[in-house]
Amino acid sequence: MSIHSSELTVGRPRRGALGGIAESIHALAKRRRLVWYLANSSLRSKGSESVLGNAWLVIDPALQLLIYYLLVGVILRRPEPAFPLFLFAAILPWRWFTQAVSSSTESVRKMGKVMQQIVFPQIVLPVAAIGASLGSFVFGLIPLLFLYVIYPDRITAWILALPLVMIVQLLWTLPLAIILSAVNVFYNDIGNLVKHFLRLAFYLSPALFSYDKLLKAAESYPIVVQILHLNPMAWILIAYRDLLYHGRSPDWFGLAIVAAASLPFTLLSLYVFNRLSPKFAKVL
Amino acid sequence: MSENPPIRLKDLGVSFDLRRSKRRVRRQVAGKTERLDEQGRFWALRHISLTVESGESLAVIGANGAGKSTLLKTLAGIIVPDEGTIEVRGSIATLLQLAAGFRDELDAEENILLVGEFLGVPSSEMKKKTQEILDFAAIGDFADSPVSTYSSGMRARLGFAVATSVEPDVLLLDEVLSTGDAAFREKSRARIVELKNRAKAIVYVTHDLDSAETFCTRAIELENGQIVAYGPSSEVVGRYKERALSNK
Repeated sequence: MSIHSSELTVGRPRRGALGGIAESIHALAKRRRLVWYLANSSLRSKGSESVLGNAWLVIDPALQLLIYYLLVGVILRRPEPAFPLFLFAAILPWRWFTQAVSSSTESVRKMGKVMQQIVFPQIVLPVAAIGASLGSFVFGLIPLLFLYVIYPDRITAWILALPLVMIVQLLWTLPLAIILSAVNVFYNDIGNLVKHFLRLAFYLSPALFSYDKLLKAAESYPIVVQILHLNPMAWILIAYRDLLYHGRSPDWFGLAIVAAASLPFTLLSLYVFNRLSPKFAKVL
Repeated sequence: MSENPPIRLKDLGVSFDLRRSKRRVRRQVAGKTERLDEQGRFWALRHISLTVESGESLAVIGANGAGKSTLLKTLAGIIVPDEGTIEVRGSIATLLQLAAGFRDELDAEENILLVGEFLGVPSSEMKKKTQEILDFAAIGDFADSPVSTYSSGMRARLGFAVATSVEPDVLLLDEVLSTGDAAFREKSRARIVELKNRAKAIVYVTHDLDSAETFCTRAIELENGQIVAYGPSSEVVGRYKERALSNK
């Protein structure tokens, strides 16, 4: 091992706020393989012990699309043209977001037993949870490609810009995941609340309806309109829909601002995580 | 005394906020009011000063709930002390419980790499050791099956083999010598002696007084979170035995 035998391994002085943040980032870079292994195994655990196995990674988003299509498209009669594609372009990234937030919220708590026995940078846990949900998102692109077979005129070169929007989404998922994973260790109630909050946020996002319709519906409540504008996921979902459904350039400037606005939250989340993590082992 | 001993604790204290702790913990401390402070914090360890010099092995004995496991976890860096200072130098291997960090859906080899990553051992190094670990654990044909299909004995053997595959400067043991069947117990004892000979310092928590005496050069006795006896293991264990007998 690379540790020199006179090097202090336990009892190093605590770093300040910035030093701690730098240390977390360094630890993540150093333990990227651990992140990969954890993400990989939790992605695979979904299919294990089922007849269809890893095919569920593709079936699951396809079924979800079908349900929303039936619900909104057929029963509520709100279809836009090429409605399945319209829905899927937003539901798929939203699904990634909810999976990332809810699984990372539980990620540290779930590893309580391991943390009682092995010392490792716990910051890898929420990040690995995001990684697993990212993997699931990528598999969800397979049914999306299938939809393009039905609507071939909808596919454009803008689809190549998808990774850029994904990065913006990742930047916003990260601070939420990190903070929630740490706080949930002390208050398990958070995990339960998060589920309902995510559902509410889903209906406040332009996932099922177009953003214009949503704004129109909220017209008489200016506060709701304000909240809608402040929701970074709304901007991100619109960008996805621009790329995947409309085949046009998203509002890059708006996206850049959304991306930049995530930075202070990320730093704050790392700071909070660093402050709370020494107490994890005592509570779990 | 050397300048940088492998382990040095000064007036160390570890406390638990009972409101935040699990019910299991609260039950354990019920009735031990002398260890609660004014704020209602429970002191699992307090005023612990201790040095383990290079080449020493220290047995930690004491009744259940005396703070032995907390001490070991603090030395491992799992629990951060609330008072005093702690210094542990060099690489650490902990054998607290076996099969820590295994994921059910992964096979033996993948789990070896995963636990290696948890421990901070580069996977290139871990890959070289994989065959040796599999052989030692005698996993045989199951190496490619997910560990969810393993018997508890196989899991424990694999866990032991992974945890002892590293060569630590400081070895922390919590009564793991009783793993598996008789043949494996013999093998694991030999492995621990081997590690012990190479490590610079060993801390061994046990209820088995005979092994504490033969295995370690020095010993401490913990009682209610404090050190009540310290010295050569034969003396500390001898007095502890006498007292246990006279209390009967």
